[in-house]
Amino acid sequence: MIVFEHVGKRYGGRFEALANLDFRVRRGEMVFLTGHSGAGKSSLLRLIMRLERPSRGRILVAGHDIGRLHASQVPFYRRQIGVVFQDHQLLHDRSIFHNVALPLEIQGVEPREAARRVRAALDKVGLLYREKALPIELSGGEQQRVGIARAVVNKPALLLADEPTGNLDPQLSADIMGLFEDFNRIGTTVMIASHDLALIARLQHRILRLRDGRLVADQEAAS
Amino acid sequence: MSRRPEAPPRGARTHRTRSSSRFRGWLRHHRAMALDSSWRLLRAPFDSLVTMLAIAIALVLPAALWLTLDGARLLDTELTESATLTVYLEHRVDDAQAARVEEALAAREGVARTRLITAAEGMAEFQQSLGLEDALGRLEENPLPASVVVSPADPSPEAVRALAGALEGVSGVEEVRLDLAWIERLRHLAELGRRVALALAVLFGSGVLLVVGNTIRLAVENRRREIEVVTLIGATHAFVRRPFLYSGAWYGLGGGLLAWGLLTLGSEWLAAPVAALAASYGASFSLPQLGAVGSVTLVGCSILLGWLGAWIAVSRHLADVRPR
Repeated sequence: MIVFEHVGKRYGGRFEALANLDFRVRRGEMVFLTGHSGAGKSSLLRLIMRLERPSRGRILVAGHDIGRLHASQVPFYRRQIGVVFQDHQLLHDRSIFHNVALPLEIQGVEPREAARRVRAALDKVGLLYREKALPIELSGGEQQRVGIARAVVNKPALLLADEPTGNLDPQLSADIMGLFEDFNRIGTTVMIASHDLALIARLQHRILRLRDGRLVADQEAAS
Repeated sequence: MSRRPEAPPRGARTHRTRSSSRFRGWLRHHRAMALDSSWRLLRAPFDSLVTMLAIAIALVLPAALWLTLDGARLLDTELTESATLTVYLEHRVDDAQAARVEEALAAREGVARTRLITAAEGMAEFQQSLGLEDALGRLEENPLPASVVVSPADPSPEAVRALAGALEGVSGVEEVRLDLAWIERLRHLAELGRRVALALAVLFGSGVLLVVGNTIRLAVENRRREIEVVTLIGATHAFVRRPFLYSGAWYGLGGGLLAWGLLTLGSEWLAAPVAALAASYGASFSLPQLGAVGSVTLVGCSILLGWLGAWIAVSRHLADVRPR
């Protein structure tokens, strides 16, 4: 699903955020990406989201070299990826329902069909009863679940998450990770950047460890 | 299976539905954004009105100048049509001979009408217009020659000038006077005015672009987060631009309608003094109205400028708004 070939990323010509990354993530896999802050986790996710291009090497996602995508194709590429952000990136002037509906609105999905899929996604994260609320009325954990609902409403083949449990207590974090596992179980490839080592260790999935922009460990899931 | 026995090949069918549903989705978004942006304008009525007024004022000046020039052009045509040549006959020509010269002149090609003014008639007219009856009455001999006023068939300056040359050759004619200079001066003035109006239209049109551009720039800044989020989840530039383009077009529509209202009010207000002024010169001149075509052009240009201003502002700022 994801192939990194000798990928490097420099900012401003000098600072090397990522260096010589080589790995593949198979379709349907669930992978944790870990390391200290500044190790390059977010940079790596930004590369996959095609917010940035690699300075060196190439990245294949679902068989396509995304560094060679034309700018006009990028939006269509991003629609195939669900992304969960640490700070949720919800729009505060819209209800939960409309936040989750946003990706479908962008794609011009027919409203009745969109409503059906939004409710299914909200039901999955257990927040259907709050569909009319504004994000500000929800707790941090609930907002993160709305973010997840928005990421999966489109049924993406690839789900990315950047520190999805960053500000949550252990119990809520475990719940959120449980949700990702549920999506992984139905075939979604999941990649989660997190520095919550204790939680990750318990979950028994493959772990990619970054240090100073280099891949220092690739620990297969213990089975 | 038996319910749809004549089902067309699946591939083509799904493709067709998909592209037509995509088109419907696109239309739906247009409709939604047109409504949404008008709603946003209405929610800040004072700010919207200020922007629209600024547009209106920028449009009124060149439009008014244009209208005035249009009126001047009508006047110019009228004046050209009344252009005449005065043919002064030789002193020795008496009234009977003058009548024959007039006939000769009337027979020439390019002459539409002639009117003979005998020496005595000329004197009477002169005395009357100058109020010098006494002074001139004391003259022993009439110093004025007989003259013929000739209306040319073709009133253009070139044709009139050519006709004047031809008429000078007629026997009994002393001199042909034509007074085209002031008509030409008026034309030069009108041309000058047209160019000034064009320059003003370009300047003030750019002003409209700047006004709308600045307003839209603020709107983009206010919705920066929203733009970032929708870009992150796969919105195209067209999708992001659309609500702002509609806002720009709404501002343009409002500004255009206000400009139209101002022009209509203004011409109503000026109509009476202009009519009185024209009457004092013995002319009938009324301020030209915008008319249907003019109104549609004014409002259409305004909408276009609003849209364009928004386009420039959003495109310039889309480059800056990069998701973090």
